[in-house]
Amino acid sequence: MKLLDRYEEVVGHQEIRRLRQLAAGLAGKTIVHVNSTQTGGGVAEILGWMIPMLEELGINARWEVISGPPEFYRITKAFHNGLQGRPVSLTSRDLDLHIEVNRENAQRLNLEADVVLVHDPQPMYLPQFTPSDRVGRWVWRCHVDASRPVRIVWKHLEGAVTRYAATVFSMAAFTRPLPCPMFVVPPSIDPLSDKNCSLPETERLDTLTRLDIDPERPLLVQVSRFDRFKDPLGVIAAYRLLKPYYPMLQLALAGGTADDDPEGAEVLRDVMEQAGDDPDIKVLMLPPDSHRIINALQRSAIVVLQKSTMEGFGLTVTEALWKGKPVIGGACGGITLQVHDHQTGFLVHSPAGAAYRTRYLLRNADKRQRMGRTGHEFVREHFLLTRQLRDYLTMLLSLDRQASNN
Amino acid sequence: MDSNEPFALIDCTLARCALGRTCTNLRELLDAVRTVPDAALEHHMMRCALDDHFELYEFPNDLARWCWDALGDEELGEQLGLIDPYQYPSLASLRTTLANVIEERLWGLERVSWCQPGLELHLIESSVIAYDTGERFPTPTALVESMPRLPPRALFYHVHEARRRTAGRTDDFSDWLAERGADASLVAKLRAIDFYFLSLNQLRREIIEIFRQASPDPEALAKLTIA
Repeated sequence: MKLLDRYEEVVGHQEIRRLRQLAAGLAGKTIVHVNSTQTGGGVAEILGWMIPMLEELGINARWEVISGPPEFYRITKAFHNGLQGRPVSLTSRDLDLHIEVNRENAQRLNLEADVVLVHDPQPMYLPQFTPSDRVGRWVWRCHVDASRPVRIVWKHLEGAVTRYAATVFSMAAFTRPLPCPMFVVPPSIDPLSDKNCSLPETERLDTLTRLDIDPERPLLVQVSRFDRFKDPLGVIAAYRLLKPYYPMLQLALAGGTADDDPEGAEVLRDVMEQAGDDPDIKVLMLPPDSHRIINALQRSAIVVLQKSTMEGFGLTVTEALWKGKPVIGGACGGITLQVHDHQTGFLVHSPAGAAYRTRYLLRNADKRQRMGRTGHEFVREHFLLTRQLRDYLTMLLSLDRQASNN
Repeated sequence: MDSNEPFALIDCTLARCALGRTCTNLRELLDAVRTVPDAALEHHMMRCALDDHFELYEFPNDLARWCWDALGDEELGEQLGLIDPYQYPSLASLRTTLANVIEERLWGLERVSWCQPGLELHLIESSVIAYDTGERFPTPTALVESMPRLPPRALFYHVHEARRRTAGRTDDFSDWLAERGADASLVAKLRAIDFYFLSLNQLRREIIEIFRQASPDPEALAKLTIA
């Protein structure tokens, strides 16, 4: 079965047909995606489904991966952090090495295409070293929040942006003024992936049993890294405010820590300390591939929390809404695009706010169900991967149109 | 339009571009309304209907919603919600009205209202990418029968965007029906739909209801059910 046919069962015949109609305007074009890794990470995951889908839509799509010495990846990791405003240490030699590795890759990679989509900062200097007749148009896709970057990183990358016809960001809030169009393409979830597919009831129950969670009692869930900005301590505080009214309540905090986040272990320690010996709080350190466990937890929740104080897009919110759960989320980042008061959940500003809104939802089963249905449909319309593909096709058509108007 | 031509169904999608500009208070909103490109004003006042916000919210445009939700300025939210951009002969006149309403409100405030962090208005401009679906409806009956399954974005193109193309005169459905000699009262009712204050699904239901009232054919009526 073709990939598009599989998604047709979820998003409907009409959506797939519209994708084909949109893509007809790009038939025969060649699009090359360039990133820095074939496996692991969100970008590789997106390209893993997008390349075959573009091919099925009649577009010649290829995926090239740049490579460099270990030092190169240390430097580009610093770019990644610096773009998001975290302090970094970079020398002019580091910046030169980044450019040099791009020069070598420009000679090695097959970049001949109508459009080359460059993902994140690693391959950003490729246009500088690629003959201009090989590539019709360069587009830079920035996958992180670049609204408040560290100066040295931004200045270095800004130098490369001038060669791009357009950029793409996940949210308008992640941008800063640039001399070329900044398309907005929000991320999406894959409804057929292990994390979001429907689960057999036995598997869901087995998972809860293994995690020592009682399936008969109400469960609050927050899935996210142990990071201060995700405010796990605020979630525990909200749970404690609720416990006197709902003694049967359980809380699961599920996540991991990023390898490059030394603070993660410290936050986890604080969370464990706050949880104390309460047997109804489960702090779950899960390996990165625990997709079906997370799926089961989200499906078992009565309400899902994402009480962040700073957030990217917040795909865990999207996942919960897709599973028909109302979400109580911190009013920040992409959560504000997904959680709409009284419709798909509630935006909150404090542990007390989270407790208050959760208490309201625990009391109102019909409201929970109605919000769950609205949230599911909201995600179907706006945040499944077919919409992301549609946005990319739209961007490519828009660039063609702009070029023909000039 | 040739009166023998079938109705050509066009669908559309939005290319959204960030301006890299943000409003955090009412004064910044006023400045933005005065200075943003037309495409940004069109997006936040009209094309935001495609973001489905009106399905979830009680306000038909981003500016009214932001004033109500983020600034907590309910009075201004209501005033901006009442402004129907399709009633204005030009974007310049719409811009003037919006600026006047916001400035008038600012004038009367002791303190400028600010939003909480996280609830900023991030300005976007957009363009409509329309494309032919290849679907043709040779008769009014075929058009009417297709209504329940038309994509919401096609409704937006044939009603909202059509009003923009025709300077507010008509939508594509009633225009095509009028060309084919449809009953004048049916055409008038379609043109009288208060589409700006409806979500796209409500608009579909209203169009269907008008056809339902106009159709004397019980079989055709039976087919007019929304999936």
